[in-house]
Amino acid sequence: MGRAIKAVVLVATALLWLVPTWLLVVNSFTAAADYTGTPAWWPQSWGFLDNVGVAFAKANVGYGMLNSLVYAVLGALIAVVVAALASFAVVVMPVKRPALWFWVIYVGTILPLQMFLAPLFGGYATTALYDTQYGMLLIYAALAVPFAFFVVRNYMTTVPREMREAAALDGASWLRMFVSIHLPLVRSAMLAAFLFQFTWIWNDLLFGITLSTSPNVRPAMASLADLTSNYSNVGPPVVLAGALVASLPTVILFFAFQRFFTRSLKLTS
Amino acid sequence: MTVLTPAAEVERPASTPAAGPARRGPRSVLAVALFLAPAVALVGVLMIVPFLDTAYRSFFNDNGLSRTFVGLDNYVTLLTSSGFGQTLVNTLMWVVGTLALPVLIGLLIAVGTHELRWGALARFSLVLPYALSGAATAVVWTFVLRDDGALNAALAALGLAHLEQGWLLEWPLNTVVMIVASTWQGTGVAVILFLIGLQAIPPSTIEAAKLDGASGFRLFWHITLPQLRPITVVVVGISVVNSLKTFDIVWLLSKGGPGTASETLALTMYRETFTLARYGAGAAVAVVLTVVVVAVSWLYLRRQLQAN
Repeated sequence: MGRAIKAVVLVATALLWLVPTWLLVVNSFTAAADYTGTPAWWPQSWGFLDNVGVAFAKANVGYGMLNSLVYAVLGALIAVVVAALASFAVVVMPVKRPALWFWVIYVGTILPLQMFLAPLFGGYATTALYDTQYGMLLIYAALAVPFAFFVVRNYMTTVPREMREAAALDGASWLRMFVSIHLPLVRSAMLAAFLFQFTWIWNDLLFGITLSTSPNVRPAMASLADLTSNYSNVGPPVVLAGALVASLPTVILFFAFQRFFTRSLKLTS
Repeated sequence: MTVLTPAAEVERPASTPAAGPARRGPRSVLAVALFLAPAVALVGVLMIVPFLDTAYRSFFNDNGLSRTFVGLDNYVTLLTSSGFGQTLVNTLMWVVGTLALPVLIGLLIAVGTHELRWGALARFSLVLPYALSGAATAVVWTFVLRDDGALNAALAALGLAHLEQGWLLEWPLNTVVMIVASTWQGTGVAVILFLIGLQAIPPSTIEAAKLDGASGFRLFWHITLPQLRPITVVVVGISVVNSLKTFDIVWLLSKGGPGTASETLALTMYRETFTLARYGAGAAVAVVLTVVVVAVSWLYLRRQLQAN
């Protein structure tokens, strides 16, 4: 009895959750000419590819995705490497006040992101970083550091002390110890941090709309927001098709590595 | 959960035995600096300096062209402005709503499905929206909530036409509806975190409780929930911080409107700064928001960490 109720509740919740996703997919298929002004519950026509074409042409979603790919891959990569270096310093090296340095870097995850917008906007304008790809990459890499640092640092504390003592006796330098002992051992934590931060950068809208305007600099989510403000021009099916395509990379990445996420996080606990 | 004890772990001296090469020598200091510098520089220059700059700006009347010192005027204006109470209420609604919906649903789905063979399918449907972007979420929910949108159409089709609404046009309904949309997207995170927590519970603990006759709700309440506590602290902590900082979904769905009826603190800050170009006033909101977020997370985490 209890088991049956539980199953019914779970199935009902799961189905309810799928309704918006269903609407998203179905309506992205409606050809612009067939769109009646009200959302459809079943596929009306098969204009998905045409819609994607219009979205890519009108709002530079294609450019945006290319930009976002560069920002997300390089930004997350830089952040993870920088975070690993800092983790090594705080965990392994004889640094004074490791707790202070920990909080200096970690506080970045607590501060509200909107707080950075005005000063960064001003700073970027005066340093000619505004509306450049270097500027976008720089801010994404910096914002991705604190969380990556937290993950990698916690993982690095599990590296057995004997391993580094052996290396020290061999006369290895800090850099060699980091590259040949710690880096391989925290590989999986670094990969997990990379995937989390890739997804975060890919989905960022805030810094995209604040620090860039040109189509060849704007990330995907900012371009997509342009499409929404042109709502009446292109129509909802085009907007939905654009949104669906722009979300594909993270959906694929996320589900490809979902098992890995849970397994690697479990190891740190 | 190591995640919960950063402070405790960092307090412990990181390198007690003389393990490092060239320990304490001048080369060692240089080496430490080189390893730490990139992270400290990136966070310091692009996050901590902007924070201090914002705090400084909040004492000025600043329209982007000229700047005059006004002391605490921006704070007084903010705290006494007619919309501020509304903004606080909205922000509070987001905190409560986020704790009530995604955290609770996430917990129930994780506990309910982790031992079921078809559980992965049920979880798939909840985690899918998390992988979609906030922009995609906003587009589809605009679509659902418009006057001639999917929700009103569905109500009409079910013969419930009298329930049709302008979902985003009236407070408090608009905030409630946007919390539901945000729940749809964010619950997947809680599900995944609780699953990790469940995997960390030793099977022997559950077996022993079952031998003692615990089952169903009692097993959940007396065994599973206390064992999940470390991960619950993480989920609740993240949820509180993120809900206080709510921005994206409101900005995309209602722009804080109609008027400023559905604004949160983060939206007020954005509007003052970028729409009205009142940088000092915007900075004051940002500082108030930061103080609230830091205070709440510190109070919550401090109590939880002590309790452990």
